[in-house]
Amino acid sequence: MVSKETVVIDKMGLHMRPANNFISAMTKYKSDITIDFNGNKINGKSIMNIMAACIKYGSHITIICEGEDEQQMLDEAVKLIESGLE
Amino acid sequence: MKTLRGIGVSPGYAVGKAIVIKEIERDLNSAEYTSAEEEKRKFQDAVSVYTKNTRELIVELTKTAGKKNAEILEGHLVMLSDPFMLSQINDSITSGNTAVKATDSVCNGFYDMFSAVDDEMMKQRASDILDIKNSIIGILCGDNGVAIEDVPKGSILIAKDFTPSMTSRINRENVYAVIAEVGSVTSHSAILARAIDIPAVLSVKDASVLIKDGDTLAIDGSKGKILFEPDRETVAEYEKMRESYFEEKKSLTEYFSKPTVTKSGIKKCVYGNIGKPEDAENVLHNGGEGIGLFRTEFLFMDRPSLPSEEEQFEAYSTVAKTMGEKEVIIRTLDIGGDKAVPYLQIPKEDNPFLGYRAIRYCLDNPDIFKVQLRALLRAAYFGNIKIMLPLITDTAEVEKAKQLILECETELENEGALFKKNVPLGVMIETPAAVLIADELAQIADFFSIGTNDLTGYVMAVDRGNGKVTQLYDVQKPAVLKAIEMTIKCAKNAGIPVGMCGEAAADGALIPKLIEWGLDEFSVTPNSILKTRKEICEFN
Repeated sequence: MVSKETVVIDKMGLHMRPANNFISAMTKYKSDITIDFNGNKINGKSIMNIMAACIKYGSHITIICEGEDEQQMLDEAVKLIESGLE
Repeated sequence: MKTLRGIGVSPGYAVGKAIVIKEIERDLNSAEYTSAEEEKRKFQDAVSVYTKNTRELIVELTKTAGKKNAEILEGHLVMLSDPFMLSQINDSITSGNTAVKATDSVCNGFYDMFSAVDDEMMKQRASDILDIKNSIIGILCGDNGVAIEDVPKGSILIAKDFTPSMTSRINRENVYAVIAEVGSVTSHSAILARAIDIPAVLSVKDASVLIKDGDTLAIDGSKGKILFEPDRETVAEYEKMRESYFEEKKSLTEYFSKPTVTKSGIKKCVYGNIGKPEDAENVLHNGGEGIGLFRTEFLFMDRPSLPSEEEQFEAYSTVAKTMGEKEVIIRTLDIGGDKAVPYLQIPKEDNPFLGYRAIRYCLDNPDIFKVQLRALLRAAYFGNIKIMLPLITDTAEVEKAKQLILECETELENEGALFKKNVPLGVMIETPAAVLIADELAQIADFFSIGTNDLTGYVMAVDRGNGKVTQLYDVQKPAVLKAIEMTIKCAKNAGIPVGMCGEAAADGALIPKLIEWGLDEFSVTPNSILKTRKEICEFN
């Protein structure tokens, strides 16, 4: 299991479009991805889960990946979040 | 005549016959459970049919309402392909529920989750879920939901709510207007109604009960008014308004994408005035090139205590994001003895218009003012915000406000917050004092905006609410015109942009003079944007 903390810089927060960009990148990987947001564990491959969490701009989140390709997955996830997902 | 009222979200007029769309009542327990495999297959088939139907609707809607509006339905397909939701439905089926029951309970779960969040965007997602649920269950039960396509010409549709898929099936030739019990200016149904240009009145309480099939209704889609069984004169009046609305609309639509340029090639800008964040959409929908006046009073009124910095930041940044690169001029709090804000404890005054108000109150209460300034500087990071100070009468007031902004910048910097430095700071020219020192103000301000509504009153020393003297309240009086001309000249000499955000900016009789004097930006109510652009483009 690998994890990293990051900050959401997408100006709209993780709403429909950015969340969709994020999950379509994540579903390529076999590993599981969990986003820890204020103690809530969110399935990082589920747009419904991500949207319902209402992760706003500036939120601190921890991304946790677990599985055979966990490191590549974590790297891309963090890169995506930090690049703003636009 | 019996009248109902709601929120007018899509302008236009209509007279027609009511068709109340009833939700189909289904007995969700009537379906028989076959086997887990069979139920899962049924669900998969329903999803395939839904996806195919929705793709067709998207193609259709892209043609009638544009790509951006069709994306609402694309979103439904994305939500329905969510692995988390699909696995919940599959689990529910495995545990013995029919496809219908599983869809119902899982979607309801998400609906509750989304609608519990106090966020306009999430509430819309909740209504998306409901839309998806009803469509899938409709397919599973073998009915196609509510028949909307086949209504006769001249129909007015009434429903509890218009889901995106319902709205996108509306035939604009036959449907003259829509009425719903829920919704607001920013609901999908409102956006789509405006996009296909049919009048819509939302948030009409108990509409689907109070209105019966076959009732004749007259609708005013901008005022949100519904008249029952109108008499002959009213019908004639509304039909005439409907016709002239379409005619004017037709003559104006060509100006939607046209640049605001006079015949001699001088570039001008037409902006919109707004009082609430959601009005920004309306400015864009009417072809506005920016927002020339965003009044912030709504945040402070009708509530028991001051709005927090976060709350203000939300409102300002929402507008900044909606407008993207376009300018958004936000006026700082313009409040005083005549506008009741009990918790501010401004004592009642004999002369509120000459009293403790607007910038005077704010500079005197820096603790309150700085909360607003901080929210503005933070929101400015998300778009093209400019700050405007109301009721300025002295350069010292601008200097003092600048000082407070610098303090806020230092604080935000120390806190490591994201914000924008050097946000343009402008002066609203609405007092004779400001006009008389406009040359000095132009040296320290980044822009001017002439507020003709108050300027006319102050220059003419007239209370427009007083019937005995109201005829003196006239922007065309020589003294007022001279004040406007002087202000524009001072701005031009100093090389700063100058706009106008009063009603006069949309006054066809005044526009030629304003262009001659060199006014750069005309900020008007969203509904007048295209008309104002037309006037400017026709100026020789």
